[in-house]
Amino acid sequence: MQNLSELLRRLIAAEVEFVLVDGFAAVAHGVTLVTRDVDICCRFTEANLTRIQKAFADLHPVHRSRPDLPLDLTPEQCASLKNLYLKTDLGVVDCLGEILGAGSFDEVAQHGVEVDLPGGKCRVLDLETLIRAKEAMGRDHDLAAVRQLRAIKERLERRNTQASG
Amino acid sequence: MTDRTSNHEGALRETTSACGSVEPRAGAGDIDISLLEESLRLSPWERMLANDDALNFAESLRAAMERRNAKS
Repeated sequence: MQNLSELLRRLIAAEVEFVLVDGFAAVAHGVTLVTRDVDICCRFTEANLTRIQKAFADLHPVHRSRPDLPLDLTPEQCASLKNLYLKTDLGVVDCLGEILGAGSFDEVAQHGVEVDLPGGKCRVLDLETLIRAKEAMGRDHDLAAVRQLRAIKERLERRNTQASG
Repeated sequence: MTDRTSNHEGALRETTSACGSVEPRAGAGDIDISLLEESLRLSPWERMLANDDALNFAESLRAAMERRNAKS
């Protein structure tokens, strides 16, 4: 059973410094395409990576490319990692140090919008930057999401124009 | 920054204005606007939960098809 929402809730509860990006961020904005993983852009410091590890500690987290390798980060690994691809009992989590089309964590964080979720506040990549990132990735499903994101953006702009007019 | 943030937060909480017709119809390209409108009526958290439901349903369907194919 996959539970991406619970994975996200745990990241928030563990006070991981991150911005929700890619497919699940698109879902948060209203895209109807189903996504299979949680992608976050996060700060790759030992403290932050340790928070991620603790958040999923009871979910048997493993490195996705090496399922035989449980997640047990050392300070040396934390210092050298650029991305962290995890598989847990509740689903897949990709932790990325930078986002194509959006930049490093600090740049991505500037384009994060705060959203109130039951577990607390969560930063989600804003519509415009998400469109730019998904266009940069350019896979078929990214471009399908871009079409919906553009339609959502147009609707919001129209509504804002009507509200101010 | 604050303005932009609150503006986008509002966007994320978007509920489409009570637009009357929600007949299924194609939008720009391959977009089903009625599905999009339905999604926009939900909160971000409700959309995430709906994604989980759809994902699990798709997986159970796939597993059922695999079992069926294995039998035949």
